[in-house]
Amino acid sequence: MGHSTLEELRLIAARLSGKVIQNINSTFTGGGVAEILSRMLPLLEQLGVDARWNTIKGSPEFFQVTKKFHNSLHGRREDISAADFALFLEVSQQNIRKMELYGDIIFVHDPQPVTMVSRKKEIGRKWIWRCHIDVSQPNEKVWSFLEPFIFQYDAAVFSAPSFSHQLPIRQFLISPSIDPLSDKNKELSQQTIDSVLEKYAIPKDKPIITQISRFDYLKDPVGVIQAFEMVRKSIDCRLVFAGGTASDDPESEKVLAEVKEKAEGNPDIHILLIPPESDVEINALQRASTVIVQKSHREGFGLTVTEALWKAKPVVASAVGGITLQIKNKSTGLLSYGIEGTAYAIRQLLTNPEYARWLGQNGREHVRYNFLITRHLQDYLLLFLALEHPEDIIYL
Amino acid sequence: MMVEWLIDNWLKMAVPMVVFLASYIVGLWVRRVVSNAFERWTSRVRWQGSQLVMTTVHRPFLFWFLILGVFIAIQVSVVTPQVKGVTTKAMGTLFVLSLGWLVINLCGQLLEIYLPRLKVRWPTITLAKNVTSATIVVVCALIILEIWGMPTSPLLVLIAVGILAAALALRNAAPNLFAGLQLGAAQQIKVGDYIKLETGEQGYVTEITWNNTRIKALDESIIIVPNNRLLQFTVVNYGHPLKKAKEPFRFHSRTYIKELTGLKAKNLRELVDTLKKVPDSVVYYHTHHFLEEHHYLIPEPSNDFAVWVNDVLGEEVLGERLASVNTFEFPSLGILRERIIVIIEEHLAGGSNSREAIPGREFRFMKSVSLVISTPYVANDLREFVEALRKISLGSLYFHVFESRLRLGRGLNDFTIWLQGSLKEADLGEEIARTDPYTYTLEGLRSTFIQLIEKRIK
Repeated sequence: MGHSTLEELRLIAARLSGKVIQNINSTFTGGGVAEILSRMLPLLEQLGVDARWNTIKGSPEFFQVTKKFHNSLHGRREDISAADFALFLEVSQQNIRKMELYGDIIFVHDPQPVTMVSRKKEIGRKWIWRCHIDVSQPNEKVWSFLEPFIFQYDAAVFSAPSFSHQLPIRQFLISPSIDPLSDKNKELSQQTIDSVLEKYAIPKDKPIITQISRFDYLKDPVGVIQAFEMVRKSIDCRLVFAGGTASDDPESEKVLAEVKEKAEGNPDIHILLIPPESDVEINALQRASTVIVQKSHREGFGLTVTEALWKAKPVVASAVGGITLQIKNKSTGLLSYGIEGTAYAIRQLLTNPEYARWLGQNGREHVRYNFLITRHLQDYLLLFLALEHPEDIIYL
Repeated sequence: MMVEWLIDNWLKMAVPMVVFLASYIVGLWVRRVVSNAFERWTSRVRWQGSQLVMTTVHRPFLFWFLILGVFIAIQVSVVTPQVKGVTTKAMGTLFVLSLGWLVINLCGQLLEIYLPRLKVRWPTITLAKNVTSATIVVVCALIILEIWGMPTSPLLVLIAVGILAAALALRNAAPNLFAGLQLGAAQQIKVGDYIKLETGEQGYVTEITWNNTRIKALDESIIIVPNNRLLQFTVVNYGHPLKKAKEPFRFHSRTYIKELTGLKAKNLRELVDTLKKVPDSVVYYHTHHFLEEHHYLIPEPSNDFAVWVNDVLGEEVLGERLASVNTFEFPSLGILRERIIVIIEEHLAGGSNSREAIPGREFRFMKSVSLVISTPYVANDLREFVEALRKISLGSLYFHVFESRLRLGRGLNDFTIWLQGSLKEADLGEEIARTDPYTYTLEGLRSTFIQLIEKRIK
């Protein structure tokens, strides 16, 4: 970041002096939201902005319901009963009663705490709903259920243009970001990378194709294995599928079991369950990869794609959600729409290393200018300021 | 009684008085002779200080002969040896004091003549005069003590302690003082020069004192650099100020956040119908955001309408026509919007509206909300302007070149307006106005402007 850019960030942050930003989500660990908040808050603090973070409480049953909401909003079919909605509202009411709302700007992340806005009439303040998931084709039943709450906010924030809806409130586009200095993205020595490969018994004898993601149907892990098997018919290579679980996702154990079963008996497929605090290991696996894949059915933004691009790796990813903001097809990576398309794109990259390198370099530059945490930080500051100004050009 | 005493002793009285008067007359004569000789000498050597020496010495010279007269008169008189001794010491003291006063005056005035020639600033001259005066006073004091037979050792010890204390107190200032003298003598850096230090600080030199140099930075803050450090740095000196602008150029910067309208189009008819009713800020966003987001990748930007029509609808002919719309040619967003609408409607008139975007790839209408902030950078002339141009963020460059011209409806970029209006640099302003910024990366545009301005400065 240039000196002048930092100066400008400070000037903008100074305008928020005295305001408290209260973030509310469902978990302190696991998943992209927790990761972004844990990086973002210290930076906001360094700029003199008082940003704090609270989480709602809920039973495992509550989080099973919110997981269903999550899948439904992504467009997946889910069997959501009236009892599920009732449970959601009941636990939400408990959180609404218990949580202290002290922020001047209350920044609610994702659907789990969306009902907190019910207290707006009572306490006022500015309310923002930050939707991190792909709601481009949501289940109408769940979306209609959430809409009355969403409409009460002052603004909604989405990660991709296609997630926006015709709403009576202002909507902003803010892409998530990565921290280039974090364990997950910092430079690593070859020795570290080799030691991680050794730990997980991954030989370096063949090109490595990797997908890093949670064990989640929406990430299509089985589809990744199928695409890999198609590639392997003509090119000898390995597949690494590595991921973890989040405390608000009770479904991941089941998906992991299915994936392991599908990969059973193939020594070139490495299914790795990575614990939550294994950022250096994720980093090493990405850096050791020849091609990185993100074959999601739905994707909020796809930070794993951002991480791969930042490491100048050639990426093959589905043209869904925020991935299309990151991958300009054939310029910063390759977009695919199905299993065959994914296999074809991987083959192209494995057989044309110069092309793969060119795409990787472009991808890194794209991330440098658009998806690093400094840009994200600036967007949040501007969002908080824009709430006070309805005009298109704001003179500070 | 009195008369009798005078009759008896008139000779004892008359001799000293005659001697005193004689001394006075000799003094007047010697002063004239010396003065004439000195004038003849100075007319040959044409020394600037001659008049000064003459004026300063004129009065004390006669005073010294009066002292001499008193001294001789006392010596030839019949007063007691004790009185003679005291009078001799008193005359000696008066002589030393008058000589000291003369030397202090003379040195002070000579320093005022000669130090400015070495470009030494007034605070340093005052300091030099004070140091000289103090030294002379101390020497005179020592001599007077010696005349009166008083011990000088305590004073010498006191002076030594004082010098030591001063040396300790000034141990950091001394190198700066000498560096200041060196700067003044070498004339490499002068007040009014624009300098740039290897550590990044830069600006016009506003003052060089005996221990530091003051620089007015681009953000109008004052940087104080110790003279000693200044000599140690590598310094680029751009020389004297250039023509000053009537009004300074104050750099602003612009950051933006993307606002979604919730409107979308899945085919050309929907695209053109929605385009007709969205605000100008939407048109602006879709014809400009590529400049900032992808400037590293493709210097030649393309508007979003062309990209979507080509990549999503597969309408390559229309895509090419839309991509060829040269945004730089349009003085307002309204006219630009009209042009895009005409191109799409001409295409639709040919009966082509069958293609539709797949779900999720519709055209999403967005706008940018700009936040304009003042930066600390201010330029009063071309040197300050070009140096600030090197330092400002790309957001600042973008604001003054793109946003001001089209979105704020100023018709020209801010640089041209200032160059032509406030600095009367019509040709340079015209050159910058003629540069099509849409064909450069932002860094490339910055370099181009810097080159144009540097060429003008040379």
